This record gives sequence, C-alpha cells and structure tokens, in this order.
Amino acid sequence: MRRLGTVLVHGRSMEPTLHEGDRLLVLYGARPRRGKLAIVRLPDDATGAPRPLAVKRVSSRDPDGSDGWWIERDNPREGLDSWAVGAIPTDGIRARVILRLPAPNISWPRLRMPGRGR
Amino acid sequence: MFSRLFAAPIQVSAHCDLPCGVYDPAQAKIEAESVKACMVKAAASSDADFKARALTIKEERSDLVKHHLWVLWTDYFKPAHFEKYPQLNTLFNEATKLAGAGGTKASWDVAVADQLLAKIDEIAVIFWETKKAAA
Repeated sequence: MRRLGTVLVHGRSMEPTLHEGDRLLVLYGARPRRGKLAIVRLPDDATGAPRPLAVKRVSSRDPDGSDGWWIERDNPREGLDSWAVGAIPTDGIRARVILRLPAPNISWPRLRMPGRGR
Repeated sequence: MFSRLFAAPIQVSAHCDLPCGVYDPAQAKIEAESVKACMVKAAASSDADFKARALTIKEERSDLVKHHLWVLWTDYFKPAHFEKYPQLNTLFNEATKLAGAGGTKASWDVAVADQLLAKIDEIAVIFWETKKAAA
C-alpha cells in the first residue's frame, strides 16, 4: 500500500545532492524511477548484520537482467552502492523520494500587504 | 486513520559501512571490490551506456583505492612499523601501482583486480597486527 512519510538523512554518500540532517518526503510502495532517488534496503554486510535503510539514486535496471534495480551513490568518494553490493531486488526498494522538505528554520520570504508601500 | 496515509518518520543512511575518520584498510578494499565489479559487470553487459558508466566508476574508484592506501601509508604507519615490517613500503608501492594507470585504472583484466585485492589483504594483516600490538 502506498503511504507518505518523512525521512531524516544521515551521512555523506549523497553529497552534494543531500546533506546530513535533510528531511525528505517519500512515498512508500511507489515504483522507483530511473535517475531519481529512492529509499532502499541494502543487503546485509559481510558479517551478516543488517544495514540501515539508505537513500540512493536509481540508475538503471539490474544489468544482469533480473527485475532488480541498480543504485548509485551521488558522492563519488564515499558510501556504498550497487558497484559494491550488487543490484537491489524489487522488494528492497521501499520508497520513492518525492522532494526535499525545506529546513524548519529557513526564513520565509516576507509577505507584504498590497498597497502598503514602505 | 492518519497512519493509513502517513508512515512514522525514520532515519535513512547515505551510507558508509565504516565510521569516517578512522583508519581501516577495509576502505581501500571496498573500493577495490567495486573496481572488480566494474570489470565483471561491463564484460557481461551489452549496454553501451552501462559500459561507459562502468569505465568512469572503475577509474574513479581505482583512484580512491590509491587515496585510501596512501592515507594508511603516510598517516597511519609509523617509522617503528616500517622497521618491524620491512616489506611494508614495497607492499604499498606494489598495491598503489596495481590501482594505477598500469593497473586497474586502465586494465579490464579481472586478474589485476584480484592481485590488487590480495595486496590490500596483505597490508590489512600487518595493519591489524600493529593495532593489536598497540592495544
């Protein structure tokens, strides 16, 4: 079932697109789109421990022809992606990222009443 | 009712497996494994775009392997280590060459990537011995 949610970004692998502390609006259960960001479940690490849910860019279908997806990091220097962990199976794609929410402390543009020139 | 539309907020990782700012040969190893994956996946693919992407990633991550090795070589290992392990300089020299223009950066030969991974493993063994000795 599709559901909206928000996620808080932690880490640097999606720099410069996303930064630590960014909040994203996501749609769970939505099909990923090529070139867009998604919330994915990475495979367990070498010791068998689960990795946390991650935000990555969906670059293409699994080149091996499964119905999985190939995901990449935006930061060329840090983080994990399909080049390290392989394609992500369809059920590992948890949500599509819709947009980045504005930071709570941004200063909104001042609205002025029309006709009240300064 | 609300929860049928909205899921609870969660934290997602823009992920590294390793804590930042901590010396660990696993950083070089992860990137070297990616380099090998580029070779294997590109060879199996008939998609020109994917092959081009694999080429870019292979070059970038070969450089990253060198970077992570250099950090260990120049920042982590101390003169006493090089005394105790006289092969260490040669190992780093060979490993960084294997990731360079004469190695995985230019080559598509999986055997070269395997040699690189083996050298990193040799360095990792020494690294963990020095860690144990310091503990």
